[in-house]
Amino acid sequence: MFTKFLSTRAQAVAAAMSMLAWLGATAVAVAEPPPAGDDLQLRFNKTVQPFLQTYCHACHSAEKTEAELDLAQYASPAHIARGHDTWAVVIERLEAGEMPPEDAEAQPSAAERQAAIDWIRALRRREAERNAGDPGVVPVRRLSNAEYNATIRDLTGVDIRPTREFPVDPANEAGFDNSAESLAMSPALLTKYVAAARQVAEHLVLQPAGFAFAPHPVMTETDRDKYCVKRIVEFYQRQPTDYADYFEAAWRYQNRAALDKPAISLAEIAEQEQISPKYLALVWTALSEEPTDVGPLARLQAMWRELPAPEGNQPAVARRGCEAMRDYVIQLRAKLEPRFDNLDVRGIHDGSQPFVLWKNRQYAAHRQSYDPAVLRVAGAADGGEKEAVEASLVVPADAADRARHEASLAQFCEVFPDAFYISERGRDYVGKAKDEQEKGRLLSAGFHSMMGYFRDDTPLYELVLDLRQQQELDGLWQELDFITSAPMRQYKGFLWFERTDSRYMRDPEFDFARSEDKGVTAEDKIRRLAEVYLAKAVDSGGEGTAIDAIRDYFERINDQIRWVEAARLAAEPSHLDALLTFAERAYRRPLTSIEREGLLAFYRQLREQEALSHEEAVQDTLVLVLMSPNFCYRMDLATDAAAPQPLSDYELASRLSYFLWSSLPDEALLARAAAGELRQPAVLASEARRMLRDDRVRGLATEFGGNWLDFRRFEQHNSVDRDRFPTFTNELRQAMFEEPIRFFVDLAQHDRPVLEMLYGRHTFVNSVLAEHYGIPAAGLQTGEWTRIDDAHQYGRGGLLPMAVFLTQNAPGLRTSPVKRGYWVVRRLLGERIPPPPPDVPELPADEANLGELTLREVLARHRDHKSCASCHERIDAVGLVFEGFGPIGERRENDLGGRPVDTLATFPGGSEGQGVAGLQTYLRGERQEEFLDNLCRKLLSYAVGRSLLASDDLLVATLREKLAASDYRLGGLVETIVASPQFRTKRGVAEFAEESPR
Amino acid sequence: MRHRSPQNHRTITRRNVLQGAGVALALPWFESLPAWGSERPAAGEAAAFPQRFAALFMACGINSKHWWAKGSGEGMELGKTLEPMAPFKTKLNVISGLFNRSAVGVGIHPGQTGNILSGAALQKGAELKGGISMDQVLANSVGQATVQPSLVLGCEQPITGYHETNFSMAYSSHISWQNATSPVPMEVYPSLAFDSLFDNRGSRRNKSVLDRVREHAASLSREASAADKTKLDEFLTSVREVEKRIDPMRGGRAQAAERAQDRGKPLASMERPDNGLPEDIREHMRLMCDIVALAFQTDKTRVASLLLCRDISGLFYPFLDARKAHHSASHDDLSDEYERISRYYVSQLAYLAGRLDAMPEGEGTVLDHSCLVYLSNMWSGSKHDSTKLPLLQVGGLSGTIQTGRVLDYVDKPDDDRKLCSLYLSIMDRMGAGLDRFGDAQTQLAGL
Repeated sequence: MFTKFLSTRAQAVAAAMSMLAWLGATAVAVAEPPPAGDDLQLRFNKTVQPFLQTYCHACHSAEKTEAELDLAQYASPAHIARGHDTWAVVIERLEAGEMPPEDAEAQPSAAERQAAIDWIRALRRREAERNAGDPGVVPVRRLSNAEYNATIRDLTGVDIRPTREFPVDPANEAGFDNSAESLAMSPALLTKYVAAARQVAEHLVLQPAGFAFAPHPVMTETDRDKYCVKRIVEFYQRQPTDYADYFEAAWRYQNRAALDKPAISLAEIAEQEQISPKYLALVWTALSEEPTDVGPLARLQAMWRELPAPEGNQPAVARRGCEAMRDYVIQLRAKLEPRFDNLDVRGIHDGSQPFVLWKNRQYAAHRQSYDPAVLRVAGAADGGEKEAVEASLVVPADAADRARHEASLAQFCEVFPDAFYISERGRDYVGKAKDEQEKGRLLSAGFHSMMGYFRDDTPLYELVLDLRQQQELDGLWQELDFITSAPMRQYKGFLWFERTDSRYMRDPEFDFARSEDKGVTAEDKIRRLAEVYLAKAVDSGGEGTAIDAIRDYFERINDQIRWVEAARLAAEPSHLDALLTFAERAYRRPLTSIEREGLLAFYRQLREQEALSHEEAVQDTLVLVLMSPNFCYRMDLATDAAAPQPLSDYELASRLSYFLWSSLPDEALLARAAAGELRQPAVLASEARRMLRDDRVRGLATEFGGNWLDFRRFEQHNSVDRDRFPTFTNELRQAMFEEPIRFFVDLAQHDRPVLEMLYGRHTFVNSVLAEHYGIPAAGLQTGEWTRIDDAHQYGRGGLLPMAVFLTQNAPGLRTSPVKRGYWVVRRLLGERIPPPPPDVPELPADEANLGELTLREVLARHRDHKSCASCHERIDAVGLVFEGFGPIGERRENDLGGRPVDTLATFPGGSEGQGVAGLQTYLRGERQEEFLDNLCRKLLSYAVGRSLLASDDLLVATLREKLAASDYRLGGLVETIVASPQFRTKRGVAEFAEESPR
Repeated sequence: MRHRSPQNHRTITRRNVLQGAGVALALPWFESLPAWGSERPAAGEAAAFPQRFAALFMACGINSKHWWAKGSGEGMELGKTLEPMAPFKTKLNVISGLFNRSAVGVGIHPGQTGNILSGAALQKGAELKGGISMDQVLANSVGQATVQPSLVLGCEQPITGYHETNFSMAYSSHISWQNATSPVPMEVYPSLAFDSLFDNRGSRRNKSVLDRVREHAASLSREASAADKTKLDEFLTSVREVEKRIDPMRGGRAQAAERAQDRGKPLASMERPDNGLPEDIREHMRLMCDIVALAFQTDKTRVASLLLCRDISGLFYPFLDARKAHHSASHDDLSDEYERISRYYVSQLAYLAGRLDAMPEGEGTVLDHSCLVYLSNMWSGSKHDSTKLPLLQVGGLSGTIQTGRVLDYVDKPDDDRKLCSLYLSIMDRMGAGLDRFGDAQTQLAGL
């Protein structure tokens, strides 16, 4: 495609970039002289040089540099080859007959003109062929802001986005911010990197084995509490503990034949229903295998037997009955829950820790038994119908019958605990009924004003969880103590409480135990306090259970504190191991032994010389890893070999992951690299395919799609007048931004044809966007997205009518056919159009103020000016087809001035079309190849992280062939790119060592 | 960690400054100024003295029978509890009747405390939610010019757990909040608070990291190609540049100490407190006040909050002949015992004011360029009454606050007696003006 213009500014940049790029390429030329070189040199001397001197240099030389263009500096074919972008413009102007200008002293003949054009083309062709496959100069570079965020997300498992306050990365000439051409480092930015690394370290949580990252900073005790408590409570909430689910599953098993699954096992049903197989077996036994005729179990078995039979394979018929069974169990169990009185010793507060904990343990130990005191012996008044729950509390008077009844009741309580776990606890000691106690105190021990946690989940643990889940839950509770120092803090709270709300420890003999004293949690001090405390309790008449509870308290709290201390010490080596593993992931390759030693030595230095604590030293070593260029730079791009060489497996892994995910390689990809398989073409292709299907391909959609199509910053788009367009809310703006990303992700994950971008009839909406588009989408939850297959019926489908582009390319209170048209030809089709001259008058900001004329008519007028026409004829018509969409992309019949809109356009070349459909027909007929060419070039440029070179021409041609041959599917394009030498190799050092100015 | 003093290349380690000598010397603000390279005022611009703010908090109210003042200036009469402030009558404002709307009618104690400097509504239950406190707003603006953005100190350990009102006890323990969900970690160890001023740990830790980072980059650069080297050198240069910026701050300390020694008489000095917590609460409070005074004089920070005791405090005061712990004593708030306790706390403010007033600065003293606010979360501890708060304000904040007055807002409409209006006024006068803060949108009239 050589029908392009170049703006002068872009031209200067392009010239500079290609200079750099071509320096290396010409070095290759020295090693391998091209066969046609002599001929080109000859023709240069004979025709081209004189042509340039005669017709060009007068205006374009160092003395007089019109349009910032100095052609006189190009003194040899090799030199011209380096500036191919500039010379593409020269061809352009020559072909268009615009240069030399009409008023020039001399004009070349048609033959002279053609000879010059042919020669420049021949030179480019020769350069393209001679260096085909050249990987180009791709120096090391820092991660872009987007890559940094995604890498941290995948490295830590939490989306911290530390670059939120970084300056925006500049884009390179191709429009992408992922190349060394544009990514620079400065002291100011480095300071932000330090802050970013520190911010990540603030999320670090040291665990009994290894470490993790919390979704929020964990710098204060309350942060740590929040992190640990939340994980335990969420674990509880994930567990299947709804009795109705188990009754229904048991019913399914009972009726398995009728439900067309005669061979299904109980365990398979549990798996299918996502409930505990262990507990289901228990419930099944209780309901079906041991029929009884007394007590609540008999009633429950009867209710279960009476559940309706399956009707036409519709299991839902039993649900209501199962829920009734559940309600019966829960109501009855609440009544049967054992009650315990507060312990009492004169002078000791009811809410003192030893007594509250004792009571908590009584509840916890009796969740699968019942309180005999609530039973009532049947009497004369017990005839007639009674409400089921009440009736279940009545036992027969006859001793033998009663024993049988109570045995059955005990069995019932054994299977159906009064609670599987307690996740909130108020102050029970105050004496209020359970449902009147304080709410929302997660895992609290139920003290007064003191912190402290209490675990009460034996029924869940024993009846529901399998071994792995039990271990997980044990681990979470251990981490709570380990991470939050809960036992130490609880004990300090005890010391404080016993002097304030309680007066128990106000006597001078307790003065030695102050919570302010750092050593107060030492074993000897705890033992000493236990003695004094117990002595006073005995003196005050305490005995039996109460004394045991106090003794028990000091024993337990001491054990817990000692456990935390010992576990912390024991965990230190595991944190260092975790650091090394972290560094390995962060560096995206195995560490050398020197690197491992270096990190450990740094840790030791911080501990020994800087006197930092273990946690601080681990944090700072983590910061070091994140500040190391091995992490924050793409070192895989660095070269230390003499000659061009293939990327190593690890280097290739990073190149692949930053291309497709904007992030680091995952475990699977690293495993391929470690096995040395990644360089095998079939493996490389299959990994690329796998990665395209992964959700992380959103990185490609956002960074490639967003920058290519220029909507990357739309989340900050602020030029909509929200008074005039009140429907343009932040939510709508976000949804507009999201639409093309969803579209692109779908395209990548399902390997759809790229032409769907132009002609697709579908799109993706959430409820906000659906309303904006007038697409009925009832039942869509907030935040939920859905694919609309027939979006074309609502004037949408594909990229062209997406609100994000229509809005971004409208200046607020009017549309802009110019900007919209420019977006299509520039962004989608890749046509280069120079910026307008600086003295163009502005159009009115508001459509309503256009006066008599429509926008279309105003635009038609400026096309009467010859200087405007050459460009505007290429863009205005394309933009006018979108006039059926207002400034925020809403469909409309009239413009803001009340004039009916007209979407008829005469496209460049003379064909006519109406609206988006007309544009699509025009694109399909006349411009599709440009779109494909542009897409291939952009994607290649993004993939290799540099602007394209002449030596990429052949690859681009191959990409287009393969794309056409693979039914235009994106996967095929990606596969061809990653298989190319440009992607798989890098230039050697030697070429640069030989580099010298010519 | 070793580093070089830029002047005589004598190696000074952190330990020999802090421990070997036993005494850290610091110069007053104007003399040590050149050490802060980047904060030096532009040539020709008069070096205005920095404005400082400190909040001192006492929990559970005061003895209201003896908390009163009349008249103005030298002629001001003070109730018994306020007598310790007698030497500062002309620099004192006794302000009555202000209140914090979010702390009224929500339940006693933690709900009246965790928002005393923020005015934010607090959330009950497991998750903490309130608002950033005004001292931290100041730390985020004026605090950026100093070694420490703010000092957040306490004389009683924070606790968590739940109060009977279902508010977290974290609200009772913290008056300084860095954002809605996290309190600022409070320093209760005088020795560590002292170190935070004279040994900038944050910078020192970053310096250690950057030393190593530079090594990583340098070794990579040695092996790299020309194009790669350019990129790595850009990184290396940036690392060196940032390290250089850290150095003056660190070197400045040594420099200041040396110059002080040359003069033979350091103007401000303080022994590094011992490790661990002082056994005696009197010593604890005094050390914390000394640290605030020293930090203000040497411009290590311009913002401080000092929680003398936390809400529902367990401190007890045998030296005041009071056997009940603070919170229990406050339930008998009109007793002589609680008057002695209240007066003791006021004497801490007087002590700090006295230290600052003894530090000459320009035509006046450091106190004249400061604003000290002393307040409690209740008027009456027995009634848990927070519909008006006891509040003292000392220091003219560089002439922006007129002092020597008794300001009574008790009979004003609620909209005209907001505590947050006072905060808006103070922040505005320190150049950190906001349109609104907490429940207030206007500054306090008549201040």
